[in-house]
Amino acid sequence: MSAKERNWWIVAGVVIVLYALFPIAWIVSLSFKAPADIANGQFLPTVFTWANYSQILTGDAAALFLPALRNSFGICLIATFLACILSMFAAYAIARLDFKGKKLILSTALAVAIFPVISIVTPLFNLWRLIGLYDTWPGLIIPYLSLTLPLSIWTMSAFFREIPWEMEQAAQVDGATSWQAFRKVIVPLAAPGVFTTAILAFFLAWNDFVYGISLTSTSAARPVPAALGLFSGASQFEDPTGATAAAAVVVTIPVIILVLIFQRRIVSGLTNGAVKG
Amino acid sequence: MTATVERPAEIVPREPVNKGREGWVRRAPLLPALVFTIIVTQLPFLFTIWYSLQSWNLVRPGSQQFVGLDNYVNVFTDSQFRGVALNTVVLTVGAVLIAMVLGLAFALLLDRQFRGRGVVRTLLITPFLITPVAAALLWKTVLFSPTYGLINFVLSPFGAGQTDWISAFPLTSVMVALVWQWTPFMMLLTLAGLQSQPHDVLEAARVDGAGSFAIFREITLPHLRRFIELGIVLGAIYLVNTFDAIYMMTQGGPGTASANLPFYIYQRAFLGFDIGQSAAMGVVVVVATIIVSTFALRLIFRSFQEES
Repeated sequence: MSAKERNWWIVAGVVIVLYALFPIAWIVSLSFKAPADIANGQFLPTVFTWANYSQILTGDAAALFLPALRNSFGICLIATFLACILSMFAAYAIARLDFKGKKLILSTALAVAIFPVISIVTPLFNLWRLIGLYDTWPGLIIPYLSLTLPLSIWTMSAFFREIPWEMEQAAQVDGATSWQAFRKVIVPLAAPGVFTTAILAFFLAWNDFVYGISLTSTSAARPVPAALGLFSGASQFEDPTGATAAAAVVVTIPVIILVLIFQRRIVSGLTNGAVKG
Repeated sequence: MTATVERPAEIVPREPVNKGREGWVRRAPLLPALVFTIIVTQLPFLFTIWYSLQSWNLVRPGSQQFVGLDNYVNVFTDSQFRGVALNTVVLTVGAVLIAMVLGLAFALLLDRQFRGRGVVRTLLITPFLITPVAAALLWKTVLFSPTYGLINFVLSPFGAGQTDWISAFPLTSVMVALVWQWTPFMMLLTLAGLQSQPHDVLEAARVDGAGSFAIFREITLPHLRRFIELGIVLGAIYLVNTFDAIYMMTQGGPGTASANLPFYIYQRAFLGFDIGQSAAMGVVVVVATIIVSTFALRLIFRSFQEES
């Protein structure tokens, strides 16, 4: 590659990185700005302040933000855990057992994934109020499961199909008990698929907004995205911009950490699930 | 996709396990997930169908009565509904196609050796990872804001004043935010496609004297076709249900200028309390989704089966 060509690629790379990251850098910088600085149009804050973070974590906005953070973590982790268990069984059956109608089952999962959530929110709202699930954790865990299960089954069975199941028998022939064979051979092989599925399921549940604002009304179950929705509209803060920026940063951090750690797996999980589907 | 799944009709089980009880025992591990999902999504949908046949406004207690297909007639004669449906198509198609073109361009740039490629690729995924609500807030407060927005800041040397982008171009603003978030996804998919290209074919073409553009058009693009189609279908499936971005950025306004179907249905039910009308629109959307996705998925599966 000639020097001129290489310079051109560097310029292009910089443009791409700016496209993706400059908006994010701007919101991070905004979250450290004092109220007087917010409208000054400069990239760096003139005074570096943690005030916005303390406002959402200990100040006036904490009553809205902290319970929401706790709800989101609790609800999404439980939903992810249940989705993984259920889809593990389903994926095992699809990958390992012979029976008719496998394709039908995968198609059903896909059809449910495509099903527009908005057309079932109103009856869920009515139903949940009737049976007392409105504004509770289970009231969100149940719809989140229906949101995450189709993708989980799809991804996990793509992974499970790649597992060389004969190795289990081979280990048993070599003298391992069936429990040992399962634990020492199959579990390590299945772990990456389960991990990827868990991350994708958590991502889906964490990002939900429609269920979050429709099926909750108080901090008893309101998840973070719904709380963020209230941040912008409500006039309970003097100038919500700084606090909003800080909240947006805090909300995004867990997802980014998760994905950066498991990046390679997620990319291969997405393409495996989708391409080999 | 393994052969067993592609051609279930041709499976010849070693023993006749599919008959009777044992077939069901084998299916048993599947049932919890499947039954649960179907109950949670389809039972409420039956209610939606039932609601759609009623005239029912929550603000007027006792107003609930059976009206047959009246709501559907109203839906199809409602000019707002048609406008909103058009917005949905414009928003979805526009966002998906622009994100795909940008994603493809970025993927082509990144599909070569240079120092720091891994870092750049990781950084580029970030917009996709941001919680959609936070991303919408980001665009609303940080980029499009008339007083301290980044866009006005960048454009100020060119004499752009304090344009309020979201009021002036509400639908386009939402689309820009969606494109920004979805470009990384499209880039990842097309990059996976680029990297699965057989190198010997590219090498042979180069030896035969083909130029870069000819190689791209004759070899790379056909190879990428299925990845591009997959990206478009997955993106469209997700983006047609866009709700958070519109809720956060424009509230569908001014009027219904930037509302799409999911937002309009929500607005009718939860802010207008018109349960019957909103349910009828919900049913129409489900039917439309089934029709469109059947065609789209057929296309996808066909092109993947050709390959394997």
